[in-house]
Amino acid sequence: MITKAHDKITTSQATIIMVNYILVAGIFSLPRTTVQAAGTPDVWISVILGALCSMITGIIIVRLSQRFPGQTFFQYSTQITGKPVAVLLGLVIIGYFLAVSGYELRTMQEVTMFFLLEGTPAWAVAGLFLWVALYLCRGGINALSRLSRLVAPLAGAIFFGVCLLSLKVFDLDNLRPVLGEGLAPVWRGIQPTALTYTAGEALLFLVAFMDKPKRAGRVLVIGTLISMIFYLLAVVLTIGAFSVEGVVTRTWPFIDLIRSFEVNLLFERFESLLLVIWIMQIFCTFCISFYGAALGVSQIFNLKLDHCLFLLLPVAYIITEVPHNINNLFAFGTGLGNWAIVLFGLIPLPLLLIAYFRRAGS
Amino acid sequence: MWKSITGYIPGWSVCMQALIIFIVPVILTRCMLLLRAKEGKASTRGRRAEGQKGGGVPSSEDTGEAEQTSEAVKNHKIVPSTVSQKNQQPALTYTGQFQQDLQTFREISADMSDVNVRELRVGTLKLKAALFFLDGLTDKDGMDRNILRPLMNAARPFEGLDTPPDPASLKEIIVHQVVLVSEVEFTNQLDMSLKKVLFGSAVLLIEGMNEVFILGTSKGNTRSVEEPISEALLRGPRIGFTEALSDNTAMLRRHGQNTDLAMISFTVGERVEKELILTYIKGIVNDELITEITRRIHTINIDDVQESGYIEQLVEDNYLSPFQQIQNTERPDRVMAALLEGRAAILLDGTPFALIMPVTFGMLLQSPEDYYDRWFSGSLLRMLRFFAASVSLFAPALYISFLSFHPGLVPTKLAISIMSSRQGVPFPTLIEALIMEISIEILREAGLRLPKPIGPAMGIVGGLIIGQAAVEAGIVSPILVIVVAVTAISSFSVPMYSAGITLRFLRFFAMFFAATFGLYGVVLFFLLLSSHLIKLKSFGVPYLSMITPNRMSDLRDFIVRVPLQLMKRRPSLLEPKDKLRKR
Repeated sequence: MITKAHDKITTSQATIIMVNYILVAGIFSLPRTTVQAAGTPDVWISVILGALCSMITGIIIVRLSQRFPGQTFFQYSTQITGKPVAVLLGLVIIGYFLAVSGYELRTMQEVTMFFLLEGTPAWAVAGLFLWVALYLCRGGINALSRLSRLVAPLAGAIFFGVCLLSLKVFDLDNLRPVLGEGLAPVWRGIQPTALTYTAGEALLFLVAFMDKPKRAGRVLVIGTLISMIFYLLAVVLTIGAFSVEGVVTRTWPFIDLIRSFEVNLLFERFESLLLVIWIMQIFCTFCISFYGAALGVSQIFNLKLDHCLFLLLPVAYIITEVPHNINNLFAFGTGLGNWAIVLFGLIPLPLLLIAYFRRAGS
Repeated sequence: MWKSITGYIPGWSVCMQALIIFIVPVILTRCMLLLRAKEGKASTRGRRAEGQKGGGVPSSEDTGEAEQTSEAVKNHKIVPSTVSQKNQQPALTYTGQFQQDLQTFREISADMSDVNVRELRVGTLKLKAALFFLDGLTDKDGMDRNILRPLMNAARPFEGLDTPPDPASLKEIIVHQVVLVSEVEFTNQLDMSLKKVLFGSAVLLIEGMNEVFILGTSKGNTRSVEEPISEALLRGPRIGFTEALSDNTAMLRRHGQNTDLAMISFTVGERVEKELILTYIKGIVNDELITEITRRIHTINIDDVQESGYIEQLVEDNYLSPFQQIQNTERPDRVMAALLEGRAAILLDGTPFALIMPVTFGMLLQSPEDYYDRWFSGSLLRMLRFFAASVSLFAPALYISFLSFHPGLVPTKLAISIMSSRQGVPFPTLIEALIMEISIEILREAGLRLPKPIGPAMGIVGGLIIGQAAVEAGIVSPILVIVVAVTAISSFSVPMYSAGITLRFLRFFAMFFAATFGLYGVVLFFLLLSSHLIKLKSFGVPYLSMITPNRMSDLRDFIVRVPLQLMKRRPSLLEPKDKLRKR
């Protein structure tokens, strides 16, 4: 088993990683996907409920990981289900992590190519990103957490600043009536938030690195709450500005929101700033899930983590290029969300029960 | 159904691209490993890979430590054996026969015409004696007054003696009653005595004794204490280190009375030996750090250490990094402040530059004035410097990316004015920016070498006239001249000159990234730089730990320098023994 056992992170480092992992590409499209599913402006309630749901499933994963201190899921699952099932499950989870990283990269690529770099070959955009990510990931979980720590305050400050400015075009009437059609649309709206909120899976390996695993629950809750604020702001402000009908017709409603107003400050338009921090944010998420995948491969197949990072590089790229167009990409995203619900919503509970009855772990 | 699945199988082009994406980093990493392994064979540097302090990750960042270490250990086994062989040659010793000893000494110093021999007779007994000294380094006045005169006039100590006393009591008489010199040593090694003579001591050989007296009379030409040129301050002590090691240690001692200030002496250099002093404060510094520094100093096996820059390069963690991992300074107050934070410093004989280690990124942008002035202005100045550093790193890159890729992201009026001023410029923005950036770097470098009276004049000629002429000739746009000027000035606001050079040099990389990928390239360059800095360690302490600390209290002395009343702790990342500065 090639793990850097001495590579420990503190509780606050873990929380920062969680926030960066949850805050993903989804924020650009979340207002549209939820509104499409719900059809009413009440989706902000769905966003809150979605966060709660993901916390509940996350807690189960935390409990599971806490039974095996210092071990990642890929290591302890053999003790619960036996080798063959564990390997199969591990592979599915690795596949999921790779798919998430591919999805993030592709979204970044699409946004960049649309707003910043028309005409640059896609593979060059992705390649540069992948190489820098590889360089970072070789530094281990500590390097990831430090980069997250570096990026998070920057991202937060610019995000809130931009949101504040967008109040200019905010109209509260667009959010009314609250619960005009009852609770049904709210329920429908929860499902698309699944992809944006899936957080528990990072805890499958994160808890093993924590110096105080007992606080993993706190990490999950705080991490989810912080990112919920970001999502909530994005959804409320976008719907407030564009109304339900306007949101549905835009591909990236949140970027459009930032583009839709001009302020006579230094910049006049702020989407460049927003894109800059969002590339960094996506970089963090990509690195975390990519690192998770590589960690899984190295622990299941007993390979060096360094080699796995190199080996998975082309795989991640191929997954990135699988969707043909942007609609494929969104379908891919929805599929990933469903996958996440099954994988991390339904499976951990039986595993926990089995572990309990077999008295595996402490 | 089948068709829709096969439709998603990636084509050949995608596979080829994936292959490229895979191969490039592999080749790069291989080259890096090769370089490191080769370097590990060539020196004992590899041994540092064992360092485990700080984040607990070995200080060497790439794998391949194992090979390196083993190579180094092999090398290390060889080194002492050669040294001992050298020592096994029959060492010449003094015999006690005056004429013979004098002759041997003359032989071994035959090709050194600056070694002088003065023969004399001691006191009333008229014992034969000889004094060896060096032109220029020996204090001749002092020698005449305190050694020659008492020796020749010595009558009272020898009262009642007709024959020379036995060597032991003669030695005692000479030391206790005759010579007026405070530093006295003895040796019977000819080599050793010659070495001392060459360093300015006077060596006294007396008939019948098989030991010689080494009398410390050295007085080389030293500079008087001046204000350090490279780190001038408005407020703070106007004192800088000099080339004399003893003066420098004295300056640290004189900072205040403190019995905890340790100064450990080492000898470095295989052929030309020099004294090096490692200094730290006993009750504060982490022992592990001192062990690690000591270990690294022992790995220095170069023939001569000419300046402390040699030490810096030979003991730093990662020599492939553009960032300096050891800080050099001319200011004693800076060294003292670092020692009190729990760092260690190295002083080398013959250079006014002391080395402070470990270093974090934040330190490069801090100046002692931040602490001398009130916290408010200190904090503001620090923010200004951070801003200036980022401007000097990114301003030209942003200019290139906004102009050649996304003019739409700049405010419309500004974009129009820039574009209209760029009309008629025949080059792409990258070339335009490179022309100006490189010429201003040339101006800076030339200004450094020019004699003092010409320097400013040439600066004006270069900066103003060339800039003005280039704009009028239509080679560059006036906006770019502004950008370049601001960038150049910003890079000089970094208090550490060498850190400023690093930023200027990285600026060119940022420009190339910007020229190929626009804003996206700049962002990725920032991420790459951060990744590198995050992985970089200085003596096991993460380089960026100021920005991404484990303890929030470390942030009190980073961008904002909080009032001294609230700065109660030493930086926790150094894991000092005594954590509190103030109760």
